[in-house]
Amino acid sequence: MRVSYQWLSEYVDLTGISPQELAERLTASGVAVDGIEVRNQGVSGVVVGQVITCEQHPNADRLHVCEVDAGTGELLTIVCGAPNVAAGQKVPTALPGAVLPGGKIGKAKLRGVESYGMLCSAQEIGLETRLLQKEQTEGLYVLPEDAPIGQDIVPLLGLDDVVLELDLTPNRSDCLSMRGLAYEVAAVFGTELRFDEDVRQPQTSAVNQSQPSVAIALETPQCSRYEAQVLEGLSANASPLWMQMRLMAMGVRPINQIVDITNYVMLEWGQPLHAFDLDQVHEQTIVVRQGRPNETLVTLDGEERQLNEDTVVIADVHRAIGIAGVMGGENSEITSQTRRVVLESAAFDATSVRRTGQRLGLRSEAQQRFEKGIDPKAVRGALFRATQLMIELCDGQTVGSYVAAASGQTQPAQHIVFSPSRCNQLLGTSIEEKTMLDIFQRLGFSVEAADGTWDVVVPTRRPDLAIEADLVEEVGRLYGLDSIPSTLPSGATTVGVRNVRQKLVKRTRDILIGTGLTEVFTYTLTHPSQLDDLRIPDASPYRQMIPLQRPMSEERTVLRTHMLPGLAQVAHYNLAHGVAGGEVFEIGRVYWPDSLPLTAQPCERTQWAGLWFGQTEASVGKRARKYDFYDAKGVVEAWLDAMGWTALAEFRPIALSWLHPRRSAEVVLNGERIGTFGELHPFTADKLDIGNSLYAEFDLDLLEKYVSERWRVEKLPRFPASRRDLAVVVAKDLSVQSLLDEAKRISEATSKILESSKVFDVYTGSGIPEGQKSVAVALTYRSDERTLTDEEVSELESAIVQDWTAKFGAQLRSH
Amino acid sequence: MEEQLRGLREEALSSLEKVEQNRLLDDWRVQYLGKKSPLTQVSRQMGALAAEDRPVLGGLVNQVRDELQRAFEQAKNQLEERAMEARFAAESVDVTLPGRPRRRGAMHPLTRIIQEIEDVFLGMGFEIAEGPEIETDRYNFEMLNVPKDHPARDMQDTFYLTDELLLRTQTSPMQVRTMERMWPEVPVKVIVPGRVYRRDEDDATHSHAFNQIEGLVVDEGIRMSDLKGTLEAFAKAVFGPHQAVRLRPSFFPFTEPSAEVDVRCIACDGAGCRICKHTGWIEILGAGMVHPKVLDGAGYDSTRYSGFAFGMGPERIAMLKYGIEDIRQLYQNDLRLLRQFSRIL
Repeated sequence: MRVSYQWLSEYVDLTGISPQELAERLTASGVAVDGIEVRNQGVSGVVVGQVITCEQHPNADRLHVCEVDAGTGELLTIVCGAPNVAAGQKVPTALPGAVLPGGKIGKAKLRGVESYGMLCSAQEIGLETRLLQKEQTEGLYVLPEDAPIGQDIVPLLGLDDVVLELDLTPNRSDCLSMRGLAYEVAAVFGTELRFDEDVRQPQTSAVNQSQPSVAIALETPQCSRYEAQVLEGLSANASPLWMQMRLMAMGVRPINQIVDITNYVMLEWGQPLHAFDLDQVHEQTIVVRQGRPNETLVTLDGEERQLNEDTVVIADVHRAIGIAGVMGGENSEITSQTRRVVLESAAFDATSVRRTGQRLGLRSEAQQRFEKGIDPKAVRGALFRATQLMIELCDGQTVGSYVAAASGQTQPAQHIVFSPSRCNQLLGTSIEEKTMLDIFQRLGFSVEAADGTWDVVVPTRRPDLAIEADLVEEVGRLYGLDSIPSTLPSGATTVGVRNVRQKLVKRTRDILIGTGLTEVFTYTLTHPSQLDDLRIPDASPYRQMIPLQRPMSEERTVLRTHMLPGLAQVAHYNLAHGVAGGEVFEIGRVYWPDSLPLTAQPCERTQWAGLWFGQTEASVGKRARKYDFYDAKGVVEAWLDAMGWTALAEFRPIALSWLHPRRSAEVVLNGERIGTFGELHPFTADKLDIGNSLYAEFDLDLLEKYVSERWRVEKLPRFPASRRDLAVVVAKDLSVQSLLDEAKRISEATSKILESSKVFDVYTGSGIPEGQKSVAVALTYRSDERTLTDEEVSELESAIVQDWTAKFGAQLRSH
Repeated sequence: MEEQLRGLREEALSSLEKVEQNRLLDDWRVQYLGKKSPLTQVSRQMGALAAEDRPVLGGLVNQVRDELQRAFEQAKNQLEERAMEARFAAESVDVTLPGRPRRRGAMHPLTRIIQEIEDVFLGMGFEIAEGPEIETDRYNFEMLNVPKDHPARDMQDTFYLTDELLLRTQTSPMQVRTMERMWPEVPVKVIVPGRVYRRDEDDATHSHAFNQIEGLVVDEGIRMSDLKGTLEAFAKAVFGPHQAVRLRPSFFPFTEPSAEVDVRCIACDGAGCRICKHTGWIEILGAGMVHPKVLDGAGYDSTRYSGFAFGMGPERIAMLKYGIEDIRQLYQNDLRLLRQFSRIL
C-alpha cells in the first residue's frame, strides 16, 4: 500500500520523525517499507496564474499570446501552445527561473513575441498523469476557480508530500488504512494519536428526517452487517484539489466528489464503501442475496460479468446492481445526473469476496480489504464519516437516519490469556513485565493483570491476533527481535548422519564427477511430445505423464517420465554454443502415476542419467574422437565397482526404442534390471539433433537394497600365481563374457585353480577370417594351498580350450 | 731415485689429464698404480738401499702413491658426473607441456551449496529428510495453518494437478510429515532440501521450479533465541566467521512469531553495495517459532513442546556466493559455466 506521509501526520504525531526514520523503524517492527518516493519530481517557481487575455499569436497559427496574472504585481506575457488555453482559466504558471522536471524556464522569444514564463500541463509539473482523467492530461492542467493567484503550486498540489510504499504481509489488514497505520506508528514511536477514536454521528441539518429512505433485505449469511445512508441534493462535481491530490498520492484515481469521498474514507478507515444512484435503485430497496443462475451484471469497468450462487450480489427488487465487496454495477453508477445516492457500508464474508474476485479475475482495493478482514467497528464509523464529508463538501442533505441490517452477533473484542513468563520462555528473553505492559498499552490493548496471567483485550481492528503466540510476536517485534540473544538448543545431543539412500545418492554423484562427468539440473516440467523423438509407443507407461491443471506455458504441461529429453536439451544448447562435446549427468526424479487421472500421490523415482555427446577433449598425443559405447560402459563399470556390485552385475543386450538395437545393454543385478545404457537410436539422435550420443539411466530407488557397507578384505595370497595368455579366434558376434563364463565353469567343475580371467585384446583384420575375431585372454591360476605345477595349469588350460572349441568353435591362435 | 719418483709423478698426472673414458682410466690405473707399475718396482728396489735411507724413500713412495690414488678417484668421479649429465640432457622433458589429463567433472553449484548446508546442519545433529514433490493440499497448506481461501495462499501461486494434489510450493509440508513420523520422540531436528514449484514467470530472479531447504527443531523449551543462535552458527559456517544475522518481524502462517533473517552482505561484507541496496544486509531466510496449531495438528502438545522452523533458497545463496546474476543460468547448464565448478575450494 502507498501511504502519504502528510496525510498520516494528521492522524499521528510525526514531529521530528523523518520519512526515512519512519520507514526504518516500521520495517524493523514488521511493517516493511519497500521504498520512499518524493512526490515532487523537481518543481520550483511554479505558481497559480490566471489567464487574463488570450490572443492569437500574430506569426503562428497554433500559438496564443496570453496576459497572465501570477500575483507578481504585473501581468506577464506568456506564449502558449496548448490547445485548451482560454481567458479566465487558472493554470500552473512557471515564472522565469522556474525549474520543472523537464528543465529550467527562462525568458524566450517565440516567433517574435517575448514570453515571460510558461503555462504548464499536468505532465510538465510531474503529476501522476495515469491517475488523471484523459481531458486533464491534454493541454494545460486547469486548476479550480478558487485557487489563490500567486500561490506556489508545490504545497497547493501536495507535491511536498512523501509517499511510503508498504509491503504488507497478509495478516496486517489493519495497516490498510490511515487510522490503522496511525495506531501502529504510535505504538512503534510512542507518540500520540491525533484523531478521535470514537465514532461520531454526522451533524445534519435535520430536514427530511421523517422521509422514508431505503429498505434493506439481508438474504444471505455472507453479509453479517449492511448499513446505508441516503443523501440528496448532491452533484458529481470534481472533488477539492487537496482530496484529489491525496487520492493520487495513494495511487487512487480521482473521479468525482461522491466516488472520491467513498475512496477517501476507505483509505482513512479501511472500510470499503460504495455509492449507488438512488434513482436507479427500484423501490428504494437494497437486497443482499446470492446470485442467480444465468444472472449477469455489467460492472463499472464495462465488462459483463456472470453471477452465480456463490456470488454475493447487491440488488434492488428487480436486478443486480453490484457485486458485493468487489465492484459496483454500471446500471447504478454515479453520473453527472446523480442527485440522490445511497451510501453503502457493509461487512461481507472474506472467503466469498475472495472467491468471487478470483473467479472474475478482479482485484479491487475494496476486495483486498474484505478478503483480509475488516474491522466490524469501522462499518458505522466509515458510514458516518462519509456522510459528514458529503454534507460538508457536496452540500448534501441526509434523508432519514442511517439504516442498518445485521445477521448474527457483531463479533466482540477478543480476550487472550497471556503469561509474561511463557512469553520470555518462548523468546529466550528476560523482558520485564512493565515493558510488556507498556507495549500492549502502546498498541491500544487493555490488560487485566492477575497472578502472572494476564487477560489482554485486543481491539477488533486486529483480527490477526487470536492466541498467546500472536501476542508474543507483538512483544517480540516491538521490543525488537534484534535484542533477542543467541543461544543453542539445550536438549539431548543428537548425531546427524546421512541414511543409506542419501549416501547412495551422494556417492553416486561423487563417483560420476570423479570419472569426468559434469552435473546438470534440468526442469521436471515438460511436454508430452518430447517422447516422440524417443519413439516411445502410445501404449507405453512412459506416456502416462501427469498433467498440470493450468500450465503456465505450452512447453511445460506435464511431469517428466524420462530423463533423456532434458539431457538432450543440455547437449543441444551446448553444441549450439560452441562446446565441442561433453559428459553430463543428472540425479533427479521421474514421476510415474499408478493411474490417470491422478487419484493419489504418484511414485517419484530418483534416477541418475548420463549423456555423452559430441567429441572427447583432445590432448597432446590424443586426438579428439566421438564418444562410443565403451566410454559409457567404462563409467558404469567404475560406478558399479565403487558400489561393490561388480561381481553381481551382468551386462546383457537389450532393445529399447531410444537406443541402437545392437549397441545397448541392460545391467542386471541378481536378476533385476537396475538400468540401461547405449548409443542413441539413429532416428532419436537425428530428431534430437545432437549427433551420435550415449545415454545411460539407472534407478537409485531400486538400488538402495543392494547397498552394503559391511565387507572385508580378501586375504593376500600365500602362493604365487601362474599367468597364461591365450588368443582364440571365434565368431565375431560371440560375447567375450561367454568365453570367460565357460572358463570359470570348467575350473569350478575340475581343479578350481582358475583365479581370474580377463580379456586384454580383441582383434579383427588381416590374418583373421571374415566374420571372426581374435580374443586375447589372460588366465590367472592360483591355489591357496600350494605352488601350482606346470602340469596342473596346463591340464586346466587344455580343458578350457577344448571346451571353447567344442562350444564356440574357437580356434587356438597362439600360445 | 728421488728424481725418478718425481718424474714418474709428473708423467702420471699429466697423462691422467688426457684420460676421458672410463676404460682408459682403468688402463691408467694399471699403468701407474698396478703391480707392474714403475712405482711398485721402485718399492721393490727398496731392499737394496741403506737402512737409514729406507724410511725417507719409503715415505716418498707412499706419498706419491697416495697422491696418484686421490687423483685417480677424482678423475673417476668427474667422468661419472659428466656421463650422468649427458644422460640427463638426453632425457629432458618440457615441463611446460601439459600433463596427461585426468579430467574430473564438476558438481552443480546448487548441489554444492545444498551439500555444504547439509554438512553444517549434520554437524549440529540434524538429520536429513526428503519428501514428495507431489503433495496434498492438506500437507502443503491446511496442516500449515493455511486453510482454503486464506489470503496467504496468494503468497505462493500453486500448480495444481487435481483439486487435492499439487506440486509442493515449499518444503514446509515435510515439517508436518517429519513430526508425524517422529511422534512422540524428541528432539526433532531435521533439514529438508528439495525442489519446489510456483506459478512464476521465469526471469532473472524468478523460476517456476527451484530448491528450498527447510529446517525444523521441536523439543521442550525451544526458544526463539535458539533459532537465532542456530542460524548464526549456520551463517558463520557457510559465509565466514565474521558473519552476523539480523531478524526482522514478518509473517508466515505456520510460524508465530515469524521473522525474515538477513546476513551481512556477502558481496560487500556489510559495507553497502548495489546487491544489498546499500543496507549492508541481505535476506536469505524466513523463519519463526512453529505455530501452536501446526504443533498440535502434528501431535505435539503445544503447551509442552515448542519449536522453530526456517526455510532458505539455495539458488539465491549460490547466486550471491558465486556472483551468478540470473537464476536461469542455474538451469541452462552451459558447460562453460558449470565446468568452472571443477574447482572445489
